Amino acid sequence: RRGLAVVAGPPSPRQLREAEEASPVFQYSGKAARRKDRVFVWGFSYSGALGVPSFVRPDAGWKKPRRIQPTPYRLETEEKISSAACGYGFTLLASNTRDITKVWGMGLNKDSQLGFQRSRRDQTKGYEYVLEPSPIPLPLEKPQQTRVLQVSCGRAHSLVLTDSEGVFTMGNNSYGQCGRKVVEDEIYSGSHLIHQLKEFDSRVVQVVCGQDHSLFRTKKGTVYACGWGADGQTGLGHYNITSVPTKLHGDIAGVNIIQVSSYGDCCLAVSDEGDVFGWGNSEYLQLASVTETTQVNIPRHLPFKIGKVKEAACGGTGNIVLTEEGNVFVWGYGILGKGPNLIETAVPEMIPPSLFGRSDFSPEIHVAHVRCGLSQFAALTNRGELFVWGKNLRGCLGTGRMEDQYFPWRVTVPGEVVDVACGVDHMVSLVKSFT
Amino acid sequence: LNAAPGRAPRQQIRFLPAPAADGSGAVELVAARVPVLADHPLVRGPRFRRLKIGAGHRLDVKASGVFVLGIGHGNKLLTDLYNCHLTKVYTVGGLFGKATDDFSDTGKLIEKTTFDHITREKLERILAVIQGTNQKALLMYSNIDMKTQEAYELAVKGLIRPMGKSPPIITAVRCLQFALPEFQLEIHCLHETQQYLRKMVHEIGLELKSSAVCTQVRRIRDGVFTLDDALPRTQWHLQSIQEAIRNCQLKVEAELEKTLG
Repeated sequence: RRGLAVVAGPPSPRQLREAEEASPVFQYSGKAARRKDRVFVWGFSYSGALGVPSFVRPDAGWKKPRRIQPTPYRLETEEKISSAACGYGFTLLASNTRDITKVWGMGLNKDSQLGFQRSRRDQTKGYEYVLEPSPIPLPLEKPQQTRVLQVSCGRAHSLVLTDSEGVFTMGNNSYGQCGRKVVEDEIYSGSHLIHQLKEFDSRVVQVVCGQDHSLFRTKKGTVYACGWGADGQTGLGHYNITSVPTKLHGDIAGVNIIQVSSYGDCCLAVSDEGDVFGWGNSEYLQLASVTETTQVNIPRHLPFKIGKVKEAACGGTGNIVLTEEGNVFVWGYGILGKGPNLIETAVPEMIPPSLFGRSDFSPEIHVAHVRCGLSQFAALTNRGELFVWGKNLRGCLGTGRMEDQYFPWRVTVPGEVVDVACGVDHMVSLVKSFT
Repeated sequence: LNAAPGRAPRQQIRFLPAPAADGSGAVELVAARVPVLADHPLVRGPRFRRLKIGAGHRLDVKASGVFVLGIGHGNKLLTDLYNCHLTKVYTVGGLFGKATDDFSDTGKLIEKTTFDHITREKLERILAVIQGTNQKALLMYSNIDMKTQEAYELAVKGLIRPMGKSPPIITAVRCLQFALPEFQLEIHCLHETQQYLRKMVHEIGLELKSSAVCTQVRRIRDGVFTLDDALPRTQWHLQSIQEAIRNCQLKVEAELEKTLG
């Protein structure tokens, strides 16, 4: 017998238990760990609108540029982003902070819709394509006290809403959409001009950009508009350009409006009593329930019997509203979300709630917010799930497939989606992580 | 089974010689109904020597619950039921704080972690995400063209289901009990194995920045068969089996009719 070594047999239960109790305990997350806020982007990336430079200019020579990002991709930001907006090929991100840098922009900058981005190669010129979220210098009087509440983007202009210094506008002003007088032959590229708007009857609480016009909603419930009016989207009773924000009348005079929405050439407003008002382009039957004309230049009440409306969103050819009960109604033209057979309707049709996850197993799921892109719709449920449908232009739906989606489809985002901004060919979502 | 009264023996008509009715001594042929000798029980032997028993969906050694068996002609129904692709419901019990190599509490310990930061709300959020991704998988593996109107109508009614081979899909999850470190989930699933459910418990633990092992897997429903129809060990005798078969016949027929048409 060599040595006194004893062969170790299979461990007895007592040995196993002792080994288990003696093993170290790892801690991966403390009790006070907070949920992190993240930003996810997806869609067409070649314009730089997604804010990831390696998509357009890859860091290694053998890598090919990524033209489309079909699924959500995480974007690293320095601060917590509280508001995001997608325009036509560019994006604005804004944070609620008191620091000096409050707004970042990326994407197309040919009309200075992202302000002046000084080029590093030539100090006198600006960048025409911004590939990374770059700070936008706002001419604030009290930069360390004012907070940015909301941002909005149109085709070639953008609006920034602050809490105490009014609204800042930048970008193309050929139709007066920035709220200042139209200057003939003005060159917008590389322009330093950021206009400030302060003359409203009360504090502005929401700004909305249509394709070439701007809408402002004040605390008192009135709506102001400026910009292009050939489709009546300014709602001022004429079809001309307006270069100064002017108050709207018509059916919304005296009504307390709690939400306005626009993205193309049609506009919708929701009052505190749940009524819907519309004006603007009606070529796609958006306002056909009240009029046969294709342009409506004064706000008209839309007599829908669908219940009290909480939120409305306008797309290029279709509209969507959300009622108090959590039901979603769509009307207009295009892929409306009820299968390939429903192409156009003038009267709102409800999308069955079972498509958003409601079933006998989970009856308390309902839609909390609705958003519109140019030909896409997005709905957020109270469980933080994002459903999209519509034309899948250059992968903007985020489903991972390139085909159009005819009924609401879940987007897999690793987190609870708090807000989403839809653009023409890309989308940005603000997400809270799970734990 | 063999003791039960069997089939009556076949009767045949034979012409047997019998003395004539008038007592004359001549032999006449009279027709008489006589049992066939080949059908006599002593000739035939016991009626049932072997029973064909087939099993339905597999159940692990470590798991428990409803296990469907088919006897004789019922085996044909088994294949039909398999092609229906109905959901199964399990109650899965889990324990936070441990990670083992085979995802159950009897395996070799790999790691221990803290779990006091886990709340019921966080668990429910993870379960909602699991349901969401599996819902997507459900629609994708059902091999229906998403662009058609009938796909839309089936999706509205919630009837889209993969009717062929597919990886395990979970149609619904719910948290029944939550008492740190233990928790219990109710899972409705398709095409799964019990080891997949144990792996899912482990993954839930990882997602919550801790670790979890599975302590119990119990199937409470398999298609149309629930716990009420199932026979516990004490009732494994002929009368209860026959009664159970009779009770379930109607349900099975209705389900097959509905799904396979």
